Amino acid sequence: MSWFNRFKGTATPTGPAQQDFAGNAAERLKKWESALQHHHLPDFVKQRLADAGSGKLPWIATMTPAELAQTHRHRVRPIAMVSGTCWYHFGYSWTNGHTAGWHAALSRMQEEAVAAGANAIVDVRMRKIDLPTDASMDFTVIGTAIRIEGMPPSPEPVVATVTALEFMRLLEAGIVPSGIAIGAHYEWLQGWDNYYNSLDAKGGWVNQPLTRLGNFWEQVRKKALLQLRQDVHRQGNGALAHIHFGQLLKSEDDKNPSYLGRHIVIATVIDSERYRSVPHDIRHVVDMCDGPSPLNDVRPGSHNVYDTNQEEGSI
Amino acid sequence: MSDGMAIPQHALERLKGLRSEGHPGGIFTSDFSVNEFLLVRKAGFEPVGLCVGSCIYHLGIQYANWSQNQEMDVLSQAMYHARELAMSRMRAEAEGMGADGIVGVELTVKRMEWDDKILEFIAIGTGVVHAKGHPGFKSHGGKPFTSDLSGQDFWTLLQSGYRPLEMVMGSCVYHVAHQGMFKALGNIGNNTELTNFSQALYDAREIAMERMQHEAIAVKAEGVVGVDLHEGSHNWKPHIIEFFAVGTAVTPITTERDASTIPDPQLVLSVNN
Repeated sequence: MSWFNRFKGTATPTGPAQQDFAGNAAERLKKWESALQHHHLPDFVKQRLADAGSGKLPWIATMTPAELAQTHRHRVRPIAMVSGTCWYHFGYSWTNGHTAGWHAALSRMQEEAVAAGANAIVDVRMRKIDLPTDASMDFTVIGTAIRIEGMPPSPEPVVATVTALEFMRLLEAGIVPSGIAIGAHYEWLQGWDNYYNSLDAKGGWVNQPLTRLGNFWEQVRKKALLQLRQDVHRQGNGALAHIHFGQLLKSEDDKNPSYLGRHIVIATVIDSERYRSVPHDIRHVVDMCDGPSPLNDVRPGSHNVYDTNQEEGSI
Repeated sequence: MSDGMAIPQHALERLKGLRSEGHPGGIFTSDFSVNEFLLVRKAGFEPVGLCVGSCIYHLGIQYANWSQNQEMDVLSQAMYHARELAMSRMRAEAEGMGADGIVGVELTVKRMEWDDKILEFIAIGTGVVHAKGHPGFKSHGGKPFTSDLSGQDFWTLLQSGYRPLEMVMGSCVYHVAHQGMFKALGNIGNNTELTNFSQALYDAREIAMERMQHEAIAVKAEGVVGVDLHEGSHNWKPHIIEFFAVGTAVTPITTERDASTIPDPQLVLSVNN
């Protein structure tokens, strides 16, 4: 009953309650605070994950039964759901904030996986929570920590954005999804006050490319991709860039307008032997589903972070 | 199927327009799709009826301290209690019809237009019985098992040597503290983490997860499969969020199935488009 009495001055709850492991709320918050400051995990989280790793606690997996069956087939065990969060305030740069936020969240999730004695984290999803706050965003990654039987715990478990089912297929083919890489860049364009000035002598009557703005935008994207390459290099030898988010914005000031171009690329990093074929046979089937089918449908709701942008078709 | 299965006699007769002499089992209802129905049958189960439990719940009032991270325990408890009531009513229906378990349970929360303190909780699923009357699939105390797995997933789960015990859940409604003016001013122009907010999300998620894990321990599960973590707000103030973890607690059927006997799935390429 103790945790019910933590907050005085509010209604006393009635009915059955759920059980908790660690009691006192104020103490917990203090532990979280110091944990985030000193880059470690609170003792009660460490204990829970270690217990899940040693089998004292039930395992927890985001896997479907099919995935569970396949991981068992390969002597792989789920341990626990692990997560990392970083709520980041964008001061001088929104774009760079995304790099910092994701990196912090990812390394925190890895810390949890280490505590669970894992070799990998699969089914990693990038998410955010909608809270109306100014100039800040929550960066959250959630996944399932797994261990391969007979393998010692990894000091730096790999991070795979694919589901457990796909993870096993990839491993069979000699491909290790090893991490998430982020490339982000922004730049301001000034002194391009009005596009009429940049048109040639024939003015607005003829078709012509806007070279300066075009070059500027291309530079922004190239630099984001360059940063992505550097981030990939640290984790593996290939990138499957699946999220591209770009915006070209004009500042409010009409007399002296400036343009902000920002671009974010996020990729799944893989580590694979080159020129190695896939061992699986592939069978052709005619899918008789009308409408969306599980065969060609994209898994819904896995990453919810850059959704809104995709509706605008800005890829 | 190309392997030329013959159509059973009884099906042919029915097609000819002949009704068989009274179905001894009566009719069944379910919200299965055709494929789900086939796979539940393939798993050796028969649907008996749709089980529904609902609960209209009035949420108590609780004020949060504007600048403090804290669990809204009154709300946490309400959300849990109401879902538990809906689930137990659904389970009672299943027991009434003699079901061994309920598959495809869906939990939904609905708002009422006229009052933001009232929420309706609904649990709905299809009660199933083992076709040969095997008694071993019930959960603890001879109660029907519950699971949010679809018919397809139910078949796959049994194939992989596990059976469902109970849907387990953990709920935590949390108030994320607002940032003080002084602190907010200090952050202007800085790219920095708002640890206060990060901390709130961590604490809330951890609490929800722990509670779910506790439920899994209580039913003596080996693990929890298909866990999903929902973040939601039900007509609450903007800084109040519910973290809700839900999954199906499972246990090995007898002894664990040897890994090498689990079939390898076939890769296919759909050539439609």
